[in-house]
Amino acid sequence: MTFPMASTELALKLLAPRNADWASILPEISVAGLALLCLIQAMFLNKKLNWLIPTTARIGLGLVVLMSLIPFTPWNPCSGVATTTFSGLLQLSDVTCGFRLTFLISALLTSFIATKFLEERHAVVADYHHVVLVITAAFMLLAQSNHFVSLFVSLETAAVGLYILVGYLRKSDASLEAGVKYLVAGGLSSALLLMGIVLVYGSLGATTPDSLNFDQIAKALAAGHGTALTLTGVALILGGAAFKLGAFPFQTWIPDVYQGAPTPTTALLGTASKAAGAFTLFLLVTGPFQPLAPKLAPVLAITTILTLVAGNLAALAATDIKRIIALSGVSHAGFILAAITGILVAGENGDYDTNLLAYYLIAYTIGSFLVAQALISIPAAEDHRRPLLQLRGLIRRSPILAGGLGFGISSLAGVPPSIGFFAKLFILILLAKVKLWWVFGAVLLSVAVSIHYYFSIIREAVVRPSVGDEIIETIEVSATAKFVIGALSAATMIGGMLFFV
Amino acid sequence: MEHTTLSHHLLLAGMLFVIGLSGVLIRRNLLVVYMCLELMLTASTLALVAFSRFNNTMDGAIFVFFIITVAAAEVAVGLALIVALFRQRQTVSSEKLTTLCD
Repeated sequence: MTFPMASTELALKLLAPRNADWASILPEISVAGLALLCLIQAMFLNKKLNWLIPTTARIGLGLVVLMSLIPFTPWNPCSGVATTTFSGLLQLSDVTCGFRLTFLISALLTSFIATKFLEERHAVVADYHHVVLVITAAFMLLAQSNHFVSLFVSLETAAVGLYILVGYLRKSDASLEAGVKYLVAGGLSSALLLMGIVLVYGSLGATTPDSLNFDQIAKALAAGHGTALTLTGVALILGGAAFKLGAFPFQTWIPDVYQGAPTPTTALLGTASKAAGAFTLFLLVTGPFQPLAPKLAPVLAITTILTLVAGNLAALAATDIKRIIALSGVSHAGFILAAITGILVAGENGDYDTNLLAYYLIAYTIGSFLVAQALISIPAAEDHRRPLLQLRGLIRRSPILAGGLGFGISSLAGVPPSIGFFAKLFILILLAKVKLWWVFGAVLLSVAVSIHYYFSIIREAVVRPSVGDEIIETIEVSATAKFVIGALSAATMIGGMLFFV
Repeated sequence: MEHTTLSHHLLLAGMLFVIGLSGVLIRRNLLVVYMCLELMLTASTLALVAFSRFNNTMDGAIFVFFIITVAAAEVAVGLALIVALFRQRQTVSSEKLTTLCD
């Protein structure tokens, strides 16, 4: 394969990124720069000034959130049409701007809940922030991928970062064990995903000039060039995304890893990583694999129902709070899958709000972090042992923690008028519109079942009296924790109330 | 070279992939499991290069560099985790990983 010089130069000129391309990923670049700043600060700052590192990360992330909200900019065009950048590697649309916001919010909240947690366990705060920021930047790029190379590289960057965060407490058996389990499960899923990409690339390679590009794959599949090999590849790729999301049958790693990981990492895994899986799945089934929709929709519908059943049944049997939250996360993955199935059935010009997924995930993020913050503030000998009994009499020990837990759980369970209720309602409305009654029924049933295990947590914290006198010690809640609980509790209510006005 | 076709390459890649997958599912030693995971990545890489060569598109060959880089990063973190686990527990057998349960 030899290229004449002139045409190589021409090709390089055509492929070179334009200035507008760089401007369109300015938020991602800022987050990555912030990650490096954390390390530089850790190198040069005096030990006494170490509090500056999380503060810089928070202020920086806050600024990036504000920046990505400004409309009519290269990174948030609000134009209603998707624009591809970097010669088709990335694609920017109004939907991906919402996805970006989800990741930024969970990174910001992770920084808030992690700092004190890590200091108490004598772990390094700066490195944790660095890795969280790198993961966030990778996820933000992942949500805009329009090409399998950018998808694979950003997904793996985030995955490697998450391995580090899960096994972050090197002195803790549980954290290391969870880290290794996540490593093996994650490595397996990325190997399957990669094989899927290779099969799609190879089987469509003879029909299109670039069979890794989403638009061209969609065209080739629409023209009927797909073979059995392509379908195998598509199945493997969707399996890789389903692993991230924690959908059936790839949910088996979830309870162990969520329980063993340091609680701030658990919150990040449950929100940002789940969101990444959801968005990837959404981008894939509405993008390159759109022509296969008639084949994919029934598969997704069945997976939805199985995920809901598996998550709810396992959550009913669990007695550890972190495991209950982890397994209820599986049933939330079922809700997300239901939404994606609905969107797929509704079709490209269907009557639905494109921000449905981002809205659901932001609601889920707020609820999850409220619960995580409440758990972190409750003293426990071991971070991975949090039986329900530990909560007994919480309302007398610390009303603010019990309140935060109450708001968080209510939002996760979908009690009106919290933000979680509306998020679930929109999915149900979508399912009713596209007449997916089986999925509709499964979603409704699992909301009813989830009330049982969610409210077993609240019952323990609020209703049951404490046994013995020694337990009734008030819990000291730090100012940061009070701020996080107050802000997020307000957000669950205000986010819901927005729809009454 | 005259007689090797795309299917020969794919057969080899497929065999490597299945060996790796069965190793991950069957073996109990975490280091061996990890090696098998890397074998699966290598199998995908081989298939990628073969497709790239026989379809006359260069994208696959370039993708391989990204995969090798990603695999190197994953190995660095993965081995660090396994070594840390060994120091803490004096074992790398997945049967002994039973701290986490309900």
